[in-house]
Amino acid sequence: MDTVLAPLYFLVSWIMIGWHWLFADLLGIGHDGLNWTLSIIGLVVVIRVLLIPLFVRQIKSQRKMQLLQPQLRELQKKYKGDRERLQQETMKLYKNTGTNPFASCLPILLQAPFFFALFRVLDGIANEHPRGAFESQVSLFESARGAEVFGALLSDSFLATDVIQTRIIAMVMVAGMVSSQFITQRQIMRKNMPKESLEGPFAQQQKILLYVLPLIFLFTGVYFPLGTVLYWLTSNIWTMGQQLFVIRRMPAPGSEAEKAQQRRQAEKARRKGLTVAEPEEAPKVEPGQQNGEVEQTRQQPKKTSRAARKKKRK
Amino acid sequence: MSRLIAALLKAYRLVVSQLYLQTCRYYPSCSAYAIGSVETHGALRGVWLALRRLGRCHPWCAGGVDLVPTPENYRWWGRAAGTDGEDHDVSHETTPNHVPNVPACRGA
Repeated sequence: MDTVLAPLYFLVSWIMIGWHWLFADLLGIGHDGLNWTLSIIGLVVVIRVLLIPLFVRQIKSQRKMQLLQPQLRELQKKYKGDRERLQQETMKLYKNTGTNPFASCLPILLQAPFFFALFRVLDGIANEHPRGAFESQVSLFESARGAEVFGALLSDSFLATDVIQTRIIAMVMVAGMVSSQFITQRQIMRKNMPKESLEGPFAQQQKILLYVLPLIFLFTGVYFPLGTVLYWLTSNIWTMGQQLFVIRRMPAPGSEAEKAQQRRQAEKARRKGLTVAEPEEAPKVEPGQQNGEVEQTRQQPKKTSRAARKKKRK
Repeated sequence: MSRLIAALLKAYRLVVSQLYLQTCRYYPSCSAYAIGSVETHGALRGVWLALRRLGRCHPWCAGGVDLVPTPENYRWWGRAAGTDGEDHDVSHETTPNHVPNVPACRGA
């Protein structure tokens, strides 16, 4: 495992050391705990900035989605009551027009090895087992080993310690992860989904999720070193910011966020002394309609075997 | 074995897929595809098919319909016949004469 991930250990540790150098030597911040904390945040920033091109692609595709609305509505009329067929036809339409609003899971899969590498590097720091660039940077390794914020070691974890500060900070970060995820989810639900799709199975799943997610985060928070939890927290907050930006700038048609955007535009026009354009009538939205933010109006596809699908077609 | 894998995948779908909502560019989504392929083809072929699908699914691919091939149509490489969802619906307006070997993605 270690040999496969060795290049990633080097990459992750060099990015961290790079940020540490920036904060400690260039800006002269004398607090090593703070420097290493910032360097972990910096690591998230580097990775997420590298992923921005993928995100922009997705947004561009979502903008083009607006043009597909009439065709989508036609499909919805045609395959009313047949969710599975509708999904198939929608996907075909996306393919034929070259506008797929989904990002695929590659951006997420790409981040997983980094997360794991960071976990191993921090774990190594806690257990006096230098990994990656720390193998040759003894003084930096010692500095990272002693890095503490509010009396808690960054490489320490809730379960491995009996220092009360570490436990408190771990729990605070878990609360941070839960609430940032919650806000992201809520923003999508409340603001960026047509009212009709807020009812039905999707909303139910969302409710289940609200209970399952905190458990996952709690597990992470007690098991992983503080630095890794910090990485995830920062990543979550970044996602939240990105989501808020998209909802503000590219709301789904028929959603609350779209009305808010129209109000803002009308207000802006009025302040500039131009004639006020009445907010356009929101397009009528069918239940379960997929639009601008299609990824949000997700319906769990029902699992059927191929044999069952075949039967249905006949 | 294949049942175990399918159960794990279902657990994954229950938790992780919820986290990120729909992101897959294909129908069925990669995880649904994996469950289907493991159930129809067994652990070995099923996992192989699922891994290939995962490799196909990235932001530069066209996406679209990509069904699990039937056991008769299974191919270890290349796109199997009858997986584009067109075979049962010749009258449909979009590309009725689909060439089955055209990969959905560049480099697939």
